[in-house]
Amino acid sequence: MSSGCSIRAIWILNNLDAVVFSRKFPVVEKRWRAACNADNDIDQLFASLPTHSDLADAFLDRKHREGSARGFGIRKSNSTLGSDSWVDDPITRHIVGLFINKEEEDIKNLLWPLILHTKGLYSILVLPLVEPRHLVAYARLCKRSDCGTALGMDDGLSSLLLDLPSVTGAFMVAHAIGDIITGDTVEPEVIVSAAPSVGGLFDSLTGSIGISSRAKPVNPPVASSSPSSTAVPGSVTADAPKIGSRPLDKDALRTFISSSMPFGTPLDLNYSNIFTIKANGFSATDLPPPDQKQPAWKPYLYKGKQRIMFTIHETIHAALYDRDEIPDTISVSGQINCRAELEGLPDVSFPLAGLNAANLEVLSYHPCAQVSDQGLDKQGVMFSPPLGNFVLMRYQATCALGPPINGFYQLSMVSEDKGAFLFKLHLMEGYKSPLNMEFCTVTMPFPRRRILSLDGTPSVGTVSTSEHSVEWKIVTSGRGLTGRSIEVTFPGTVKFAPWQNQRLSSSSRSSFGINADEDSDNEAENASNMVNEEHLMEKMNKDLPPVDLEEPFCWQAYNYAKVSFKVVGASVSGIAVDPKSVSIYPAVKAPIEFSTQVTSGDYILWNTLGKCPHVATIKRSNREDNADEFFNLISADEDLFIIHPSIRSLSTSLGTEKNKAVKKNENTFYTFHPLISSISPPIKGSNKIDQNTSLFISLTT
Amino acid sequence: MAEKAAAPPPSKPLTTQEWETLIEDFQNGVHHKWNSLDPLFDLLLSSLLRKDFPLFLKLQLLVFLDEFSLSFFTSHHHLLRLVDALKAVVHAPLDVVASTYKDQFMVSASSILICASEKKVIDPQTENNLVELLLTVINRPNFGSDRHTRGVACECLRELERWKPGLLSDVVGHLWSLCQNERTHASQCYLLLFTSVIHNIIVRKLSVSILNTSVPMVPFNAPNCVMDSGSGSGSDLNVKELRRALAFLLEWPQLMTPCGMMEFVYMIIPVAMALELQPSMLKVQLFGMIHSFDPVLCHVVLVMYLRFLEAFDGQEGQVSRRLLLISRESHNYLVFRLLAIHWLLGFNELIFEKTKPTIELCSAFYPALFDPLALKALKLDLLAFSSVCAHVLRLKSGSDELIDPVKLFENGLVCVSSFKWLPPMCTETAVAFRTFHKFLIGSSSHSDNDPSTTRNLLDSAIFRTLQDLLVNMMLESRRLVPVVVAFVDRLLSCQKHSWLGECLLQKFDAHLLPKVKMDYNLVYCFPIFDRIAENQTIPPRGLLELLTNFMIFLVEKHGPDTGMKSWSQGSRALGICRTMLMHHHSSRLFLRLSRLLSFTCLYFPDLEIRDNSRIYLRMLVCIPGKKLRDILSLGNMILGISPSSHSTSFFSVQSPRPSKNFKSFKNLSSCIHLERLGPLLVKQFWSLSLSNLVVSNTKPAYLESIRDLKATVEEKDFSDSSNTEIIPGRINQPQEPLRVMDSKVAEILNTLRKYFSCIPDFRYMPGLKVRISCSLRFESNTFNRMLGLDKTVTSLEEIDALPAIYATVLKFSSSAPYGSIPSYCIPFLLGEPYNKDPASQNVSLSIVPVGVGNDSREEEKYRAAVVIDLEPREPTPGIVDVHIETNAVNGQIIQGQLQGVTVGIEDMFLKAIVPSDISEDETPRYNFDLFNTLWEACGSSSSTGRETFQLKGGKGIAAISGTQSVKLLDVPATSLIQATERHLARFVVGVSGEPLIDAVWQGGIIQNIILEDASPVATSVTNHDTGPLRLTYNDEECENGAISNSRKRNLGCFLVLIFLPPRFHLLFQMEVGDVSTLVRIRTDHWPSLAYIDDYLEALYLS
Repeated sequence: MSSGCSIRAIWILNNLDAVVFSRKFPVVEKRWRAACNADNDIDQLFASLPTHSDLADAFLDRKHREGSARGFGIRKSNSTLGSDSWVDDPITRHIVGLFINKEEEDIKNLLWPLILHTKGLYSILVLPLVEPRHLVAYARLCKRSDCGTALGMDDGLSSLLLDLPSVTGAFMVAHAIGDIITGDTVEPEVIVSAAPSVGGLFDSLTGSIGISSRAKPVNPPVASSSPSSTAVPGSVTADAPKIGSRPLDKDALRTFISSSMPFGTPLDLNYSNIFTIKANGFSATDLPPPDQKQPAWKPYLYKGKQRIMFTIHETIHAALYDRDEIPDTISVSGQINCRAELEGLPDVSFPLAGLNAANLEVLSYHPCAQVSDQGLDKQGVMFSPPLGNFVLMRYQATCALGPPINGFYQLSMVSEDKGAFLFKLHLMEGYKSPLNMEFCTVTMPFPRRRILSLDGTPSVGTVSTSEHSVEWKIVTSGRGLTGRSIEVTFPGTVKFAPWQNQRLSSSSRSSFGINADEDSDNEAENASNMVNEEHLMEKMNKDLPPVDLEEPFCWQAYNYAKVSFKVVGASVSGIAVDPKSVSIYPAVKAPIEFSTQVTSGDYILWNTLGKCPHVATIKRSNREDNADEFFNLISADEDLFIIHPSIRSLSTSLGTEKNKAVKKNENTFYTFHPLISSISPPIKGSNKIDQNTSLFISLTT
Repeated sequence: MAEKAAAPPPSKPLTTQEWETLIEDFQNGVHHKWNSLDPLFDLLLSSLLRKDFPLFLKLQLLVFLDEFSLSFFTSHHHLLRLVDALKAVVHAPLDVVASTYKDQFMVSASSILICASEKKVIDPQTENNLVELLLTVINRPNFGSDRHTRGVACECLRELERWKPGLLSDVVGHLWSLCQNERTHASQCYLLLFTSVIHNIIVRKLSVSILNTSVPMVPFNAPNCVMDSGSGSGSDLNVKELRRALAFLLEWPQLMTPCGMMEFVYMIIPVAMALELQPSMLKVQLFGMIHSFDPVLCHVVLVMYLRFLEAFDGQEGQVSRRLLLISRESHNYLVFRLLAIHWLLGFNELIFEKTKPTIELCSAFYPALFDPLALKALKLDLLAFSSVCAHVLRLKSGSDELIDPVKLFENGLVCVSSFKWLPPMCTETAVAFRTFHKFLIGSSSHSDNDPSTTRNLLDSAIFRTLQDLLVNMMLESRRLVPVVVAFVDRLLSCQKHSWLGECLLQKFDAHLLPKVKMDYNLVYCFPIFDRIAENQTIPPRGLLELLTNFMIFLVEKHGPDTGMKSWSQGSRALGICRTMLMHHHSSRLFLRLSRLLSFTCLYFPDLEIRDNSRIYLRMLVCIPGKKLRDILSLGNMILGISPSSHSTSFFSVQSPRPSKNFKSFKNLSSCIHLERLGPLLVKQFWSLSLSNLVVSNTKPAYLESIRDLKATVEEKDFSDSSNTEIIPGRINQPQEPLRVMDSKVAEILNTLRKYFSCIPDFRYMPGLKVRISCSLRFESNTFNRMLGLDKTVTSLEEIDALPAIYATVLKFSSSAPYGSIPSYCIPFLLGEPYNKDPASQNVSLSIVPVGVGNDSREEEKYRAAVVIDLEPREPTPGIVDVHIETNAVNGQIIQGQLQGVTVGIEDMFLKAIVPSDISEDETPRYNFDLFNTLWEACGSSSSTGRETFQLKGGKGIAAISGTQSVKLLDVPATSLIQATERHLARFVVGVSGEPLIDAVWQGGIIQNIILEDASPVATSVTNHDTGPLRLTYNDEECENGAISNSRKRNLGCFLVLIFLPPRFHLLFQMEVGDVSTLVRIRTDHWPSLAYIDDYLEALYLS
């Protein structure tokens, strides 16, 4: 098959499971039929596309069978043979199969792979063209009666997906459509010191060409191009549609689909380009560059005052445990957003510094960028900037400056309905000017308990309660915290309404497959008048609804406090773009602006006295083994340094056993220098010196 | 309805709304209502060309026309008109027609043309016209305003070229120059068009010069090669030129969008392969894309990489690392992170031999805290895969330096470890158990030619770890037991891995059972016990012991508060026993299970449990293994009870049964036989039913054996034995009659009083019972035939093949006064093998020889002993009707009437009751005295006639009204003695006369009696024989001649005392002579005399 990605059809269903929009591509459909006819063995495959009502029926049917629109994703005891969850793979929540005309669940009726993307109130289904043999292979997968695929041996879903770029492409299409439906067509934010922010591609056009155009897309309050992690932790399901979605803009959809994939084969999914072309068109005076080809992703050239702006946007995810046995984890996911208002088609390049200090893990670039001389601590980036704001680069790093908020949160239930808590936090410890914390709020969510009253005063800030959460504003906007650190405490008690068993409806319980045996006989045994926190937890956890596979864990099962904050002034990972080293070819004089913004993602203080989720780390107890493992790790990679997030705790042990380690790997020379310990000393009263004393390792070969 | 009404006449153009409704209807598959609009196509086309028509609707109509082209373009003429219309639109100036409209028209027209070709042959001219039109559009490179339209036209041409490969091969030279010239953003489309033409030239091996521009672009004529269907029209490719073209194309990838790049790479790869391009060229140009965050580009690189695996040798590490990093990019949409891991897995599967690099990376596969659970699950898959790789590599190299799979497993699992305390249906649990499964089955695939052996998996550290983990999990958190059960079930249901599940169960049996704590919570573990019980590979010993202990525990802990608990838990424990019965050989279970069940039915505090366990015990003992299993599993089938669902009460057999299983069989008696064990002596049966003559409701008083004390005594009229009337006045006679008694009479009365007070009054207490032993049997073949089972039993040995009946209930009823007869239950009975002598089966009424023969033991298993307990109100023969209700093996319920059982007078014979204060030694003497007393009392001149005797309980009284008779039997003494010994030995209370005593002594059967050898027989007898009985007198006269002889030869005398329930007596005085015997009979129940005659004849004379 010569085509990479072709789409047979697109359907959009609303929350009532009715098809509200569809588009079919007869040319692609013809190719599918031809492929089916070519292979005589599989000519019984579903040959024609279903009508709206048939599709809606099949979708509803799957929903009933699989518990939700997305499905179980994992084989449960009530998964049926032939259904997606029987395949036992979480990705079947996204790549689904529908049996049209459910009476006979036959391969003949199977429509696969349908890309399912839920956005707002809508479910978007995209059916890419695959070869009939792929469909047969999948049908075999979901019809096999055995206990599940053996990894690496059976022909599993993995090799199928690897063979199907059309699925990947269809996902891109589905996401683009989803963004259009919900109007999330906002470009990544680029902050300029003077003006609050600069708009998208359209602004750069209207600024120069002077055409007035359609209204600017509405900026969400916190602009972030990262699609994940915007959901509030603990929000129940990702399947639940957001309320207040706007009506479907079918015209915009039609325009987008017709332009981006006239024959079902996507050519360009950049909606801002497409809509700009549709709105502006081209005039005879728009001349192409004299001796260069204009890239397909840059239909217009900028004209006007030239400048470049970079914004580093970092999000800190942290899990602070304050425990000896579980090390804290802090990770930074960052991106460099850029806006290059440059005439013509220039190349911009700059060296990226501070990679090692930032423990940069992941570097991925915009397609327009070319990466040269990948050094260990330095990386040159060259790119030919597209129009408008774009994400130049993404990375994962560690927090070189240490956690902006450190400390602990303790909550102890003194009775079934009353909890005593204590916060002790350090803010901006070791953070120097110009780092400025604009705001900082700590939230204690209690999604399953109703708060009656709160007693306690924090040393700094104000407290407010809502029905299910306590909010402590430590630093409020307008009174930023610049260049100094503070220590704050907040002791108090919180009183809840008496616990009521929130019985799950039997349907939702049984839909999950395993019916726990709830013998009422045992209730009596547990009943004791003693305040027993374990018992209370158990009682509360008994009817916890299962979370979706899109959640990292069952948030509601834990007590925690979530910190949200914003720090500007510098990146916490240590990564930086030096304006002086940015060069433009052909050379022009253009001012270069640079800004950073650090916000919190999942920044969680786990209740020190309660349960907490954690992940495997290399434990300090058996140092030697782990050290060996670690060196195996390093020596295997000559050019790229893979560091596990947990390595910070390991490094301590390396430091103490330095000689041994060096002896074992004589070809390599390691140096260790303590860095963090001076910045983040242990909190008084908590015995955490060993754990927080972290070392960084720089590797020289 | 509304739409139909709204449908306007065809001439009038449709409104916007109508068009939208029409489109919607078509999309929903309801075309028919618009059929009235016959020239719909004309309507469409005219609407499209109208100037006042709104643009958005025009676009919509174009798309609609495209999507449903097959239903509009019915003739070639339509296509021609469409292309003409397109021409008009394209040539119109921009200010008249919007460019988007122009673009869409081109796209739709091309698409329609392509699709229509499937149904009918397209006129080549139409096709050429369209291509020509499109070529003119693109032939204006770098023109400012229509650049986007040119791009779209390129796409149209590309689609046409894809439809007919080689279509544009003649004009490829022009296309290339256009490609070189075009500098706007539309250049991607030109490049793709050119690439696609090149690709098709190479695929079809067309020998065209791509530099040649001598053929003009317009007018366009389709080249000949398009018409040939074969691919190899020209054998020699113009390789040199093509290479130049390829080099040109490879200069521009950075201009393309990610999607364009995907198209490009897919076309360029076959080209590069055909032209034998160094893959490194591609690599240099394209490999950098793997660092892009666009998933499409990454996938493109993977596609290329997989195509040129050798060329990229050594790059695996880099590629896998990059894929891993994509999965860790929290910026990305989750689905792309999941895809990246799938790619990595699929990719590693492909290069399985080279996977070593990833093993070192595997600690990087550990899920991160904030990874969504879906991602965690897939990362755990990666770890499982790594452990498989490690295992394989270890086997190959034999080195131990690789990473320990157990450690990977345990560390990986930390991220979902909360499943241990969260509710069992939480997602973490699902992920964890999914991972267990992946790690456990490891590399053991489901294909038949999988090399991995059972031993490998069982010996693996993972298996051991997992088994311990599961055991501990069940011990610590009993909520998880159902989840473990589901896990085991999943393995058990898999053909390839069911043995893994079995092994797990074996391990549980060995390790879990000894560790469980004996308390009420044990019931949580029952689901897993159930699975263990089901499994035949596990010896049931351990589980039975545990269950026994549990039953003991329940019994011991039972108290006022634990009633329900004892019941529910006990019944669930029994449910497991039932499961065992179903799945194991009974012999394996027998000892321990019977102990458990008998303990339960003896001591368990709950009645239902006791009952149930009794039933099980009974089944275990009575029903052979296979039948037992069949019957138990039948219950499941019919009632839908799965063995594990004993939540309320497993014994819910009371639920309504399908009515079709109720079936009455008329001829049941021909195959099921209930036979007397001991045959009656009297073959012919008749019954004296005097009661029928009685008109009044109340029974004749004299037949009423017992009266109430209040209703006092009434006189008996000895002489008038035929009178059935009651004299009413007498009944009310209140006062005791005055009597004169001598000492002898007083003694007699005393004896009788004492004696009668031992006889139970059946009206107030259980009366005396008469037991009739029978046996039930049925013929297999007849039975099968009757049930419609076409199964002929062939061999005696095949017990399993024989039919059986279950839970048979025999109900008895009789018209004779036998009181209520308790029904009799037989849990199980096998059918008789067919080759039994049929004659012997039909003789239910005839006398069966007492010694049945050698095969009687053999037959025992085909017969069930049945005891009919009669509680006669009157000692009379009769017939007991038998009704049977039973179950066949298929659950069919059989009911019907069997041949009745005959009850003879001899069945009524009981030994006289001995008062409890008479010691055993004194019994013979007592009986002897009693005989004499009764003999006296029943004599015609008895002075006890008016006496009444209180019965046991003190409420009822009885009177004696005697009758006597004689019978001469012409039998030799020896045979008489033998017959007496055989049938009446029990009742003989005294023997007199030396010769007779000697004979009895020799026989040794009649024992513990009074032997009166001293006194002369004749005198002792004649002394009593003073009654006015005429018959006797006549008899004596008749026998006058023989008397002297007989006297001489008088051997002695038997005294026989027979008790007839409920309170009557039969007394024989048999004067035994050499050739004949005179039997003097006295009784206080005269109707019985009628039967005795027959009886004695049958006994002695036959």
